This record gives sequence, C-alpha cells and structure tokens, in this order.
Amino acid sequence: MSFAMIFSIIVGAVIIFFAIYATTRLVDTERNQQDTEIGKELGILLTPIETNLESAKAVKLTMPSETRIYNDCSKLSEETFGNQKISVATKSGVGKDWTNPGVPSSFHNKYIFSSDVSEGKNFEIFTKPLEMPFKIADLTFLWSEQEKFCFVNAPREIETEVLDLGLEGIEVSTKIENCSLESKKVCFTKSGCDVDVDVNSKSVKKKKRTETVFYEGPLIYGAILSEPGRYECQVQRLFARASELASIYAGKSSLLSVKGCGSERLQPLLGTYSNQTFSVENTIELREIYLLSEDIRRQNENLGCRLF
Amino acid sequence: MRILDVDYSNFRRKKMKRSGQIKIQQMAFVLVALMLFFAFVFLIYFTFKISNVEDSVTTLKEEEAQELVRKLSGSAEFSFSAEDCSNCVDFDKVLILSERRNYEDFWGLDYLEIQKIYPNSEISGKECTRQNYPDCESLKIIDNSGDRGIASGAFVSLCRWESDKGGYFKCEIGRVLASGEGIGK
Repeated sequence: MSFAMIFSIIVGAVIIFFAIYATTRLVDTERNQQDTEIGKELGILLTPIETNLESAKAVKLTMPSETRIYNDCSKLSEETFGNQKISVATKSGVGKDWTNPGVPSSFHNKYIFSSDVSEGKNFEIFTKPLEMPFKIADLTFLWSEQEKFCFVNAPREIETEVLDLGLEGIEVSTKIENCSLESKKVCFTKSGCDVDVDVNSKSVKKKKRTETVFYEGPLIYGAILSEPGRYECQVQRLFARASELASIYAGKSSLLSVKGCGSERLQPLLGTYSNQTFSVENTIELREIYLLSEDIRRQNENLGCRLF
Repeated sequence: MRILDVDYSNFRRKKMKRSGQIKIQQMAFVLVALMLFFAFVFLIYFTFKISNVEDSVTTLKEEEAQELVRKLSGSAEFSFSAEDCSNCVDFDKVLILSERRNYEDFWGLDYLEIQKIYPNSEISGKECTRQNYPDCESLKIIDNSGDRGIASGAFVSLCRWESDKGGYFKCEIGRVLASGEGIGK
C-alpha cells in the first residue's frame, strides 16, 4: 500500500471522527438551547395566569413532547427577593432520552410550588393570591398528569375549591379506600398517609420525612405539593417581599396622613410586621405573622382611606 | 585516463526522495486547506447561530415585558386594593415604590414608567416627586438604560385618595410602559 493511500485513510478517518463528534456536540447544544428557551417561555406563560380580582385560577398546560420541569428556589443571601429558577429537559428520540436540563431561567417575582422534578406532557397549573393582610404575591401550584393526589376528609373550603376549579389529578374523598391506587393520599384527619395535614396546628408532614412544615391560607397547597426544603425557601422569599410591601404601605400611610387620613396609627404595626417578615427562618413563625396581619387588617378596615 | 564513476542508484534515490517530499508538501497543503475550510464553515455557522440566539433572547425578553405590563396592575406593588377594581394601579403606593432601590431587578426590566394620560393639560411633561404629586404627568420606577428599544404599554386606571369633600378615591386614565432587560443594547 502506498504512502498516499495510508495517509488519506488516516486523514479520512480523523475527519469522519471529528465530523461525528462535532455533530453529536451540536445536537446536544441545540437541545440544550431549545430546553433553555422552553424554560424561559414557561416562566413567561405563567404571567397571564396570575390573579387580579380572582380568588383562584386554573389552567392546563400541554407541552409538545414529554417534558421534565425542574423547580429550584434560591434563598435571599445575595438578593433581597431570592430567585425562582425554572429549567426544562425534553424527551428526545435521538440519542439519550433525557439529557441535563437547559440553563435555568430566573424570576424574582414568581413562586412555584411543585415537586423538584415534574415529568409529563400535560401539566395542571393553579394560582392563588397570598393575602396576609394585603396581597403579597400569586402562588403557583404545578403538577403533572403523572402525579395524582387524593384529599381525604379535606376541609369544606378546600373541597369546594378543588371541585369548582375542576383540578385534574386531585381526587376528593371521605374514605381512603375510595382513593385510586396510584394517588398520593393526603389525609386531613388521620395520620400515617403519604401526606398528613393537621388543620389545627396548620402543619404538614410527609411520609419518610422528618421535617414538619407550617402553613397559613393557600400555602397549604404548597406545603402538600413541594418538598419541605423548597417550601421553606419559597416562604422565606414570599415574606421578604411582604416585608418590602409593609414598608411601602408604611410610606403610603405617612403620605396620606398629611392629607388627614388618620392612617399614621397603622405605622407601628406595619413596622413590626416588616421586621418580623424580613427573615423568616422557620415556617413555625407563620402563626405569629398571621395574628399580626389580622390586627393590621382590622385596623385598616376602620380607616376612611384604606391603605389596601 | 580518468574513468568517470557515476553512481546512478544514489541519484535515483535522491530523485525519489525529492518527489516524496513534494507529495508530503502537497498533502500538508491539502490538510491546511481542509482545516481552513472547516474553520470557515464553523465560523459562518456560529456567527449565524449566535445571531439567532441573540434574536430569540430579545424576542423572549420583549414577550416577557409585554406579558408583564398587561398584568402589572394585578401585582402586589401596583394593585389598588382598597376597592374592588380591576386594572387599577394605586398611584400613592407606586410613588413610594419609585423611591425604593430594591425593586430595580425585581421584574427583569430596564425601564418602567407610569404616565398619566387624562386629564393632564396643565401638567404636561412634569415628572412626579413628593413635592409636586399628584400634579404631575409621569413617574419613572426603573430607568436602567438610555436606549430602551420599543417599550410595551398597557392602559390602566391610576387611583389615589383625595381628601377633599370628606375624602374619596379618584381614578384617572394612565398607561404603564415597560421595556425588557437589555433590549435596547
């Protein structure tokens, strides 16, 4: 075999190897880029479903293919309001079924409560405002068609809400035996289920987990859907925003008090509320915050020029 | 008499060696040309790709600003909640909000402004401060970049408390303008 022949075989092989390698890398990069875009679009899509005067909203989200939605929350160490991070991985018929998720998209003004990773083609999204005593933010609850929940002996208002909104994936039952086999059992009156909710102490404990988390109002759905660590992180972010809002309302009350509104008497309470919510270390503090918020709500209702 | 002894085999070997060297040079040239060709192809591809990515980033940011501006009147910092009022912005609250620096990165916007549209005949062009409020036309909440591209807008009602006639809530027609982060760059 001549030298030219050997040389061209070696060079040809090297070129083919690099071409295959480059194509594989390009496909991966393309997939990553696409997943990153989908993640950002998903975040943008969540904006129109935020509430205005509504008490709750529910929508169904259908993705073009099987998708994994990664929900991450970063705390407040560097930024005042923390971060909601959303990343997405889509299932592909080429190469590996699942690859790493795309670059996470960050949002300061969103609060998503879901499993750390939700997988499926169809997702259920449900939003509800958190008001303590003023509106703090819209809470977004997300789960996939593969995640099923069965609420056993849920309080009347939760049962009504679930049925009225037609939330798929959540069954409501009075007996645990009536729940479908694949569903996660969420018990409100007894313990030993997948998720135990104590409506008296307003706490939620999950099976095989040692942590107990506390809730107020619509945060109950977040405590049921999210992992305890993620839930605590979101609650911290929410109340950091509540602290800022309280300062804004305190500013508004001083602005209006000049006009003879009489709102200045709310200022000390709003100051206390702002300090208390600034850094919520544990969800057990929610009870105290709630009581203070009720006090503020009552005083605000007595004003001629209500602050909120 | 001298006899010329010429070694032809050595000459042939040298000739063969030279022709081998030329072939190696040719192949090296071909290889360099191939490398340059692939380098150019990749360069063109990546230039095209990067411009595509930049375009989609801008589109996504524009979309985000558009969606946000439509729902801003419902967000906690803007909503007028003293009465049931859809699409109403609490102007008193927003004035205080504009003084707070913590919100600069909160919505991922480079520019956010509230404009009073009607009535504004005598206050045209005046930017709102605590001193001239509410006799002013616009209130900048975020202004991070000089070039903000095309700002998205949405009409809202700007509501505030008035102390005259025993006190009442007064609403005027306004507009929210917003531009996504880095769109104008």
